[in-house]
Amino acid sequence: MAVASGRLRAPAFASPTSRFRGRGAQVGAIVALMVIAYFFFKDDFPWPSSLVWAELPGKLDSAQDWLLEQRTEGSNPFFAMLDGFRAFADWLVTALLDFLTWLTWVGTLVAGTLIVLRYGGWRAALVVLGAFVSFALMGLWEESIQTLALMGAAVLVSLAIGVPIGVFAGRNERFHRAITPVLDAMQIVPAFAYLMPVVIVFSVGPAAAVICTLIYAIPPAVRITALGIRGVTPESVEASQALGATSAQTLFKVQLPLARRQLLLALNQTIMFALSLVVIAGLIGGRGLGDVVTNGLYSNPALALLAGVAIVIMAIALDRATSAIADRTDPARRQLTDEGRKRAHRITLGMFGAIALVVVGARLLGADGIYPEEFETATSIYTADIQDSILGWIQDVLDYIQDPDSFIFGITDPIGNFILDRFLEPLRKLLVEAPWFVVLGGLTAIAYVLSGLRPAVTALLMLAAIGIMGVWEPAMDTASQVLVATAIAVVIGIAIGIWAAETPRVERAIRPVLDTLQTLPQLVYIIPFIYLMPVSRVPGVVASVLYAIPVVIRLVTSGIRSVPPAPVEAAQAFGASRMQVLRKVKVPLARDSIMLGVNQGTIMVLAVVVIGGLVGSGALGDLVARGLQRNEFGLGVVASLAILALGIALDRVTQGKRGTRTDLPDRGPMFGLVRRRRQMQPGGGAV
Amino acid sequence: MKTHRHMWAVVTALTLALSVAACGEEKDEPAGGGDGGSAAAGKDCGNVVINENAWAGSTANVYIAKAVLEEDLGCEVEVTKIAEIPVFQAMADGKVDVVLEDWQHVDEYEQYIEKAKTVVQGGPLGVEGHIGWFVPQYVMDENPEFETWEGLKGKEDVFNSEFLGGDPSYVQKDKELIEALGLDLKHVTAGAEPAQVARWSQAYKQEEPVLFYWYTPQYLNQEYELAEVKLPPRTEANKDCKDDAKEGGDPEQYRCEYDITIINKLFSKKFADSGSPAYDVLRKMKLTNEDQELVAKAIAGDKQDPEEAGADWVADNQDTVQQWLE
Repeated sequence: MAVASGRLRAPAFASPTSRFRGRGAQVGAIVALMVIAYFFFKDDFPWPSSLVWAELPGKLDSAQDWLLEQRTEGSNPFFAMLDGFRAFADWLVTALLDFLTWLTWVGTLVAGTLIVLRYGGWRAALVVLGAFVSFALMGLWEESIQTLALMGAAVLVSLAIGVPIGVFAGRNERFHRAITPVLDAMQIVPAFAYLMPVVIVFSVGPAAAVICTLIYAIPPAVRITALGIRGVTPESVEASQALGATSAQTLFKVQLPLARRQLLLALNQTIMFALSLVVIAGLIGGRGLGDVVTNGLYSNPALALLAGVAIVIMAIALDRATSAIADRTDPARRQLTDEGRKRAHRITLGMFGAIALVVVGARLLGADGIYPEEFETATSIYTADIQDSILGWIQDVLDYIQDPDSFIFGITDPIGNFILDRFLEPLRKLLVEAPWFVVLGGLTAIAYVLSGLRPAVTALLMLAAIGIMGVWEPAMDTASQVLVATAIAVVIGIAIGIWAAETPRVERAIRPVLDTLQTLPQLVYIIPFIYLMPVSRVPGVVASVLYAIPVVIRLVTSGIRSVPPAPVEAAQAFGASRMQVLRKVKVPLARDSIMLGVNQGTIMVLAVVVIGGLVGSGALGDLVARGLQRNEFGLGVVASLAILALGIALDRVTQGKRGTRTDLPDRGPMFGLVRRRRQMQPGGGAV
Repeated sequence: MKTHRHMWAVVTALTLALSVAACGEEKDEPAGGGDGGSAAAGKDCGNVVINENAWAGSTANVYIAKAVLEEDLGCEVEVTKIAEIPVFQAMADGKVDVVLEDWQHVDEYEQYIEKAKTVVQGGPLGVEGHIGWFVPQYVMDENPEFETWEGLKGKEDVFNSEFLGGDPSYVQKDKELIEALGLDLKHVTAGAEPAQVARWSQAYKQEEPVLFYWYTPQYLNQEYELAEVKLPPRTEANKDCKDDAKEGGDPEQYRCEYDITIINKLFSKKFADSGSPAYDVLRKMKLTNEDQELVAKAIAGDKQDPEEAGADWVADNQDTVQQWLE
């Protein structure tokens, strides 16, 4: 650690005009020292085995055995309580599914479309109608409805748990700080790590699938709700207290109504996060589209891709429907006359009447149950979906991509090799093969230079924990991939983000692409990249980049958009060109938001480390995947904790000095949703 | 504020409809919670839940069994798709009755079969798993010496000195084997099976040489012509030779071919005790590697409907099926 310590902060490096440039030089110097140490002591000092707590995975294994024994005996009152929850979740999913089936496919389609039409307007209704029609045409109606029921139940329970916690966190700062790290862990620890314990406690089936989804979908619900409650101006709260309102009255009559938009945003984000777990839920009895993706991957990649597309369509439709309903039903925007109210009331009644009529009609005509794959008349049979032709097209595209003589291959293969030879390999070698104390010290020093003392201490502790858990080498391997992926995602994301901020047309055009990248199961779209890239860690990096880019783009765009007009107008008045305004005014003023983009990008990249393991990146992702599939539970948990520790360490290294963030009071969560939401507020855009 | 009341109306209406729908369905079996053959111990077959795994061979077993049980015994077969390890707990809880293809999950055998006694062995399926090193047939034709591993020595550059490893979650010892055999090969991982197949099938279509971890039975063996490179045989002298490098230790102790993997059928205790006639039939069920690959290829390769493919095989193999039914 003596090699590179915080003392490197020599004044000689710091330029008086730009502190930022000075820090760049300091980081450069630290890295240079690390490289020198690498050349002198390459492979001489791996993490010492005496500093490893080797029994940890074994202890975790026996913890799982213990859980299983307790569960089998069945006398533990704690499990009896959990059984109650399981029965409830099972009932909820089954009831939703039965209800949708009872409506018949015609009824479901009509009811969904009309309800959205009534409360969200015709644009959103068209999207919903289009989604239902496409499920039918893709021949995936039954699976889509199963997924819809599961996700509906998961979202309802997430909100029922997350919103009250969020309300409490919004009213109690200490509680908020206490749960933030828990929320971080819930989102960053891969689901593979806790799948088996969840199954032991809750068995397989809808309940287990709901629980796993909850773990990932509750955090955004809590965070955004808390943000909404705290966003209510103190004046309103004080005014209501001055008028003698009780605490409960203040909450229900003032804080909650004023936080309405945020609550709806919480709903929206909960849906998005829940839908990204469809495939995992399928592994433990969640049924639906997740099963189609998993089986398709082994025997019919085109079908896996198709089911992935259905998940994306469902996400986009739910997103558009909920944000449209949020906009349209905002009481602040509606000034209805008595006459108008009566009319609205009649329309609502008419709508439910129409739905009831359609359902009854459909059931009488024998359309109950699932959407049929073919319609039979007295004389002939008509196929009712175009699944075969879609699969044919997808297969043609896959075949084209698989051909190394293809045009695309000539572009992607050299790029892949370039990333591998120039970035991935050198960085991996540096982090894995340089003496462990040099890497540990160097990273801590960088954290100190960039972020300050406390973050540096946290980073040091986290990195040391990784070593002690005995996964130093794979963790450093993963770190090298994470850094390269983040760098690529940040560069591309910032460029596109600025472009989108300056050109609304671009923003509109890329929005569905970003939705797709966030909800399409990664394994589905990574297969084509496997064809196009050399055998290496590159496909894993590509998967991470694609998953992380949407967050970066959205943060940069919203950051630049929310630059106040005054400085921009001043610069224009002095005759600055558009480019000058962008470079000298907008980007510097949006720097915090851009830094947050870097930070968020890192976290998103870490969240898909497991996917990397499934496409040949090895390292920690590989250990987590093996943990589930080969009953190496302890190993999987250790690797997951290492990913979490790595996430916290990298977060502290890249978070920057807190002092510059006076405009972002809640500096808590690593996932930064709270901060992000606040910035997105002016645009009002939903993710 | 009127809109709020509308929202409540929607919520109330939905809740009401939901509970009505739920009550209406209560008489049916809850989905996913098959009660096995608990109904009327004896002749009536009732509901049987069979788990299907992600790979095509498993789909083939399941739909062959389904065709027999439904046609000949009048059972109602429900198919679940739960991952390999979680399905043990599913059987323990009686949510899944049957797993037809288990690749020796010995740790789970100990936990669920021996200790908790919630799962019972159903005997071998007859399909034998065989892991090994494979090359495309065209490579073997050009380099007949690749018949055994000795032929690889000094000619590793044919494969760019690369060995394409298997799915990291499968049993394997190839890194250790390469070291023990003194071959100049670099072990590379493409990732999970779909990714690995994407890799070698791409090379195959270009007629490029590739050396990789592979196994039978696998329906792709019917689509691609592959040849095996023989590894040092198992003899009396090295009968303690290990297969699963998870155990660690000296590479030398892995210096032999992979042993045959006996693929087991497993039943939930509840199903085994239920007296369902389906239990006896499934216990007697036996398939060969060829049977399974044939049906798997029809399903995964030729995109035939699994129900049809299973029924076709049953129709064509009545002799075999009658032995299960006796």
